[in-house]
Amino acid sequence: MKTKKFLVLALLMVLALVVSACAPAAVPGAAPSAGSEAASSGAEEYTTPHPILSDVRVRQALAYCIDRNALIASVYPYVEDGSELLMDSFLPKTHWAYGGPYTDMPMYDPEKGKALLEEAGWTQGDGPVRTNANGDSLVLKFTTTSAQFRQTWSAVMIQNLAACGIQIIPTYAPASWWFGDTTGLARRDFELGAFAWVGQADPAGRSLYACDQIPLPSNNWEGQNYMGWCNPTASDAIVKANNTLVRDERIAAYHIVQQEFAKDVVSIPIFQRAEAEAWSSNLTGVRSDPTEYATTNLQEWALADGGDTIVIGMTQEPDSMWNLVSSMAAQRLVDRAAVGVLYSQYNYDFQPGLQGELSTLESGLAVNEPVEVTAGDKVYDATGAPVELAAGVKVIDSEGNEVEYSGEGTVKMNQLTVTYKLKPFTWSDGTPGTVADMKLGVDIDCNRDSGATTYDLCDRIGDIANDVTYSDSELAMTIKWLPGNQYPLYHLYPFNIYPSQRVLSDGRVLADVPAAEWATLPEVAERPLSYGPYMIKEWNKGQSIVLEANPYYDGEVATPNVIYVFVADTNQAVAQLLNGDVDYLDDSTWVQAPKCRRSSMQQRARAMCSTTSPLAPPGSTSTSTCSPSRAFVREAGCLE
Amino acid sequence: MTAYLIRRLFQMLIVVFVVSLFMFFLFNIAPGGPLTGLQQQQRRITPEEKARIRAQYELDLYWPVRYTRWLVGWPQGPIVINGQEWFAEVPMGCYLEATPEEGGGCKDYVYLAEMPTLHPPIKSSRGILFGDFGQSTVVQAGRPVWDLLASRLWATMELQILSLTLSLIIAIPLGIYSAVHQYSKFDYTFTTAAFIGSSMPTFFFGLLFILTFTILAGRIQEVWPWWPTLPPGLREAVRPYDVASWLPKVQPGSPLDRFLHLLMPVTVLTIVSVAAWSRFLRSSMLEVLRQDYVRTARAKGLVERLVINKHALRNALIPFITILVLQIPLFFAGAIVTETVFAWPGMGRLYYDALNRSDYNIALAFIYVTTILTVAATLLGDILYSVVDPRIRYS
Amino acid sequence: MTASAQPIAVSKIPREGKEESQFQIVLRRFMRHKLAVAGVVVIVIMFLGALLAPYIAPFSRDAVDIAVATRPGPPGTMSSAGQIHPLGVDHLGRDLFTRLLYGARVSLSIAFIVVVISELFGVVLGATAGFMGGWFDTLISRLVEFLLSIPTLPILLITASILIKTDAQLPLPAFVTSFVSWMLAAPPQEANKVIVLMFILILLGWTGAARLMRGMALTLRNQDFVEALRAVGASNTRIMFRHIIPNGIAPILVNASLGLAGIVIAEATLSFLGVGVQEPTPSWGNMLSTAQSYMFQHPWLPLVPGIPLCLVTIAFNFIGDGLRDALDPRLKR
Repeated sequence: MKTKKFLVLALLMVLALVVSACAPAAVPGAAPSAGSEAASSGAEEYTTPHPILSDVRVRQALAYCIDRNALIASVYPYVEDGSELLMDSFLPKTHWAYGGPYTDMPMYDPEKGKALLEEAGWTQGDGPVRTNANGDSLVLKFTTTSAQFRQTWSAVMIQNLAACGIQIIPTYAPASWWFGDTTGLARRDFELGAFAWVGQADPAGRSLYACDQIPLPSNNWEGQNYMGWCNPTASDAIVKANNTLVRDERIAAYHIVQQEFAKDVVSIPIFQRAEAEAWSSNLTGVRSDPTEYATTNLQEWALADGGDTIVIGMTQEPDSMWNLVSSMAAQRLVDRAAVGVLYSQYNYDFQPGLQGELSTLESGLAVNEPVEVTAGDKVYDATGAPVELAAGVKVIDSEGNEVEYSGEGTVKMNQLTVTYKLKPFTWSDGTPGTVADMKLGVDIDCNRDSGATTYDLCDRIGDIANDVTYSDSELAMTIKWLPGNQYPLYHLYPFNIYPSQRVLSDGRVLADVPAAEWATLPEVAERPLSYGPYMIKEWNKGQSIVLEANPYYDGEVATPNVIYVFVADTNQAVAQLLNGDVDYLDDSTWVQAPKCRRSSMQQRARAMCSTTSPLAPPGSTSTSTCSPSRAFVREAGCLE
Repeated sequence: MTAYLIRRLFQMLIVVFVVSLFMFFLFNIAPGGPLTGLQQQQRRITPEEKARIRAQYELDLYWPVRYTRWLVGWPQGPIVINGQEWFAEVPMGCYLEATPEEGGGCKDYVYLAEMPTLHPPIKSSRGILFGDFGQSTVVQAGRPVWDLLASRLWATMELQILSLTLSLIIAIPLGIYSAVHQYSKFDYTFTTAAFIGSSMPTFFFGLLFILTFTILAGRIQEVWPWWPTLPPGLREAVRPYDVASWLPKVQPGSPLDRFLHLLMPVTVLTIVSVAAWSRFLRSSMLEVLRQDYVRTARAKGLVERLVINKHALRNALIPFITILVLQIPLFFAGAIVTETVFAWPGMGRLYYDALNRSDYNIALAFIYVTTILTVAATLLGDILYSVVDPRIRYS
Repeated sequence: MTASAQPIAVSKIPREGKEESQFQIVLRRFMRHKLAVAGVVVIVIMFLGALLAPYIAPFSRDAVDIAVATRPGPPGTMSSAGQIHPLGVDHLGRDLFTRLLYGARVSLSIAFIVVVISELFGVVLGATAGFMGGWFDTLISRLVEFLLSIPTLPILLITASILIKTDAQLPLPAFVTSFVSWMLAAPPQEANKVIVLMFILILLGWTGAARLMRGMALTLRNQDFVEALRAVGASNTRIMFRHIIPNGIAPILVNASLGLAGIVIAEATLSFLGVGVQEPTPSWGNMLSTAQSYMFQHPWLPLVPGIPLCLVTIAFNFIGDGLRDALDPRLKR
């Protein structure tokens, strides 16, 4: 239920490509011509192949001509060896589902690129831009957001491509347009486009690469296959990968998708975005990770000088402390410490938190058994929608094959029954956690009035009232998922828990408040109770959130006070770190990582210099453990 | 006079109405808002899901309907007369749009009868005319806009009151003195400086201050530890910090901390208004000094100081009152640019954030209140002008 | 936003000069205002720089150089090809001097186009309103009153931020786009975005000229010479364009000069706040905005676009001041 935003971003350049329904071969289809309001134009426009990009040789040539290392150098000047940020697939190299290297994905080799262009009929005449036999110029429109970061690397890319005789006309559109729900990307209003996907432990990807996920006017722009890529082999594999719980099978299926992805060069992975964070040398215990928020182990952070208050700088202020309605990274950074952690997600995998044990099949807490379903039963169909079984419905049977229900008889489908257990705990107001708190979580999170963005998990349960059962003796509940739902993250506690007995300022008890009101309750949106190491003491709007140690937390808390300050912009944030006003700066601050200067006081200078970059071991300073997906800022300027 | 007042009040209403309608229309055509980035999440988003999220923000309603709901909280549902529901079947919006294959248009209209269930009163505003500013959508999801505005108001007032007081204390004597000593060296220097001051962009002023008193001062401090530096922004610090070697550590939230943080923004605001106001005062004083009655007073042999203080000053200040009255909206709206440069958590900064993050309810509430205040201040200025100067009559 | 033009009473300048023409008188008076003359010099230099930007710029406008020693780099930084960057480089290794010249072109072009159009607009509307009176006058007066009573900066910000977000492409005739594109020395689609910005500034900027001209027309239309012209059989249009408008040109010129400063500041402020001219089109405002992110490490960076910006606004204001003194002897100090 919790939507997560993880920090590893694979930056892909998406080429508008193949389209239409599943064509027999990977024949490139069409791309919209940028410009006109796409909604009003006819569907035909989206099924005609793009005149230039439909040729795989051109796409390969583009990939050959882009010097990824130079791009990386332009945005991460402090990263000395950028090769670890290079990608040849849509998954980062350290991901469990990555099966590469995929050598079919062209890497920088402009000579090869030029040769391919010649072969494709784009010849270099007198001018700087190649032309074909018809006299058309090799000109492509390139769209991305106006973020400085993107403008930086794309400036280099444009030069790279110009060297190959490809002219790029850049459009730096506002992010609200590019990522808007009815504009830009969502309407496939581009020729070449760039954006980043957020990496996560479960690679998912069905809505990105399956044939039936191409947004078209005819399907109301549903799906995220913006490239319009339809390769039956890849499409089948990505569906399969998302319909099984066996990790080996998933790895094999993802391998196929990645191979096809590299062959067709439908998107060009540019590089992994290295989200940098910085902290002062005075701060110890920070555990940096590609998939988990740093504050997840905030209770272990300590100040070397014995200080009792850690200050964390953030450029954004959370919109609400209720994680059901908020999806901001800033909210998560506070929430992980000041509300609690049910399970953590370090290094692309999961570890138990308040959920004492992950309910995997291996642990015995989950069973996946074939059941017989018949017409009229509620099932989870092959497209991933809860439906009533009727003639013509396609489902995945217990053998993993897609079958169409004839309308009579029974089908064997797999059904997951999972028991989720929590460790005994106490809320920060001293009341013990109960099964009623778990029930309230299910009821509120699945209530359509609550304002959540998705009820995906709720929809995978047929009947919330009967298919979720609660234990009398311990903190446990058992969920019977719909037949056919093979949700890969079934082993994670799926909903929130809320203190059902909490008395509100108006005298009501939380459990009695209708879901529609929840988002407006200060007790939910501003000062939720905590089962984690800290709790929220004060929220000064626009300025700071003050945490104090939760006296009922079952564990050690190294530093009793934490303050999150909202710093307006990078400029201010850097100043704060240099001044020693802030101990830790969140990632978003560092997107335009500035160079360090010799700071005004000696101990301040140390603060910056000792944050190291494992990507670019400085030689003199020690290298901390870190995944290659993240750069810590080591400021060369400090050694001047 | 009464007729004039009524006419002006009526005009005021029209201005506020037109401005809010225009803004509402603009927001309607703007992309972004709470749905931005929805497509970027790596999971399937069905049209139904999207429709539901749109409906949460009332985006399913037609914009004129949204406007009246925002303005006066109407319509909330069908009109009930004698237990009979009227207009229940009038479509108010489109919940789900049809695909072109289905013939386009709207698949599922929102009818007036469905309003109470789809948009229950608890989630909608009672109307800004009745003091309900609605709920924030992005900046503080689901929280009342008014709470948010109220939490920032004091920070803005603090800044404005201080700089206004300081500016008055400095500008009045400066303008008068320089008018009285016209053509003196002081006058010449002063007019040139004020002229330059009033023609510089405020934000560059702000940057220069940070540059000088934080960055350069910081570098000087490396050599001479006694050299003081100033915090570059925010309203108060979160932990003790050093200003200069001869001062003890400044405690966060202490009066000294507050003072240090106020210093730069207040100075910038003060310089800008002193430059403008003193120039204005100087010329209005010069105008008065040329008048016959001043000449008469002088001719009667009155002491020059008396002439200036008793006769000239009072008359020179009259037109200045109108300028002062026009500052009223600033107590609410704050100084957008200065607050942004110094990261001051005030109203102007909030407005700027709300615009950047497409939180239109906050932006609309801000514009609405600011427009009312501006229009009211203009009216007040005109009235005051006629009160203090009986020669002016409005009809 | 716009520098407040103080109300100035202007009478028709008597044409009596036997020994020198009216122009010479004005010029002589203007030359006495030393700071205004200095202003003219500054503006001329900036102008030449902007005009000749494509010829004198040492680098191309958007040429990125990521191999340069430091980014941003101080004045005198060597490019990777061994050329010297006279004012240093920005965070992308783009030559700051080049971008400053092109930025001047953008900022000054916007100011000139906006001021010329809004003054023209204001003059014609104001003169017609004042001269014709009746419903048209009421309409224009109310419109001006309306525009003057709304909070300018918030409305400007909100409108610009929304229009910038929509990626709006105004349906413009090609020659307009190509003219602006030439003025800005920027590609047409960049010009298109700038036109949106100029459009907003013009919408809020014409009121001053309209008010001045209306007042002028109101006083002039009842004077004897208008009656005389009527008697001779001159048409309304002729009277308006040949006699009324030329008489009001003096305060309009002053207003325009102050308006130029106002628009330069307005554009810079909007760009600084991120809703004006968008990268990669350079403008002094957005260069300052970028510089701000790096100023803690490179304190000189904001000065590069900041100093010319201040010089220009001060110069325009001084010129306006000088013009006022020269055109209206009564207000001479």
